[in-house]
Amino acid sequence: MKNNLKVERAIKNLTQEDLAKLIGVSRQTINAMEKNKYVPSTVLSLKIGKVFGKSVEDVFFLEETD
Amino acid sequence: MKTKFLLPQKYKKIGWIFLIPAAVLGLFTIFTNFEPEFLKLPMLTIFSDGAIMSNEESTYFSVIRTNVANEIAGILFLLSAMVVAFSEAKSEDEFIAKIRMESLVWSTYIHFGILLFGMLFLFDLEFFTFMIFNMFTLLVVFIIKFNLSLYKSKRL
Repeated sequence: MKNNLKVERAIKNLTQEDLAKLIGVSRQTINAMEKNKYVPSTVLSLKIGKVFGKSVEDVFFLEETD
Repeated sequence: MKTKFLLPQKYKKIGWIFLIPAAVLGLFTIFTNFEPEFLKLPMLTIFSDGAIMSNEESTYFSVIRTNVANEIAGILFLLSAMVVAFSEAKSEDEFIAKIRMESLVWSTYIHFGILLFGMLFLFDLEFFTFMIFNMFTLLVVFIIKFNLSLYKSKRL
């Protein structure tokens, strides 16, 4: 699974730390997601969508291998 | 995040405060046979096989006199290592839960891998001494592995 967290974060002008605080996780988690090393739970994905005011599909994308 | 089976984060520091002296005391009792006289106390035992250590007969549920220096060190180490290992991280979330789980699986492999190695290549009293240390490898390896993984994920 891929995501454009970094881009969305840049648009909203949020640091990893800011986003982490908004959705109640550690900064490591945001970092790991952006590096495609961690696939978040549905709850976390929905929270991230909410912060950016977008649907989950606009932030996270399936890859061929998924 | 709500967690199951984990202690609150504040206990981690307390765990470390006890873990270090417990480790020092433990190693000290093992390597120097540290057994001060005042720690020789009557203790309840479920089974005592007197035949090995003395000429006494083996008994069930009796009170024997034994030096409790190593018991104190062992219990102190075990409890504090459990607290350090299983209290929450500073910002506990699902990603950290995943790291914890993976570290636990990894340490279990290492722990029993070392045990297999010891079973194959150590015998008699040497195996017994090895087992004293092996009792704690799971916890010790887990604490090291988990904290290393956390540290790595911080500076990815």
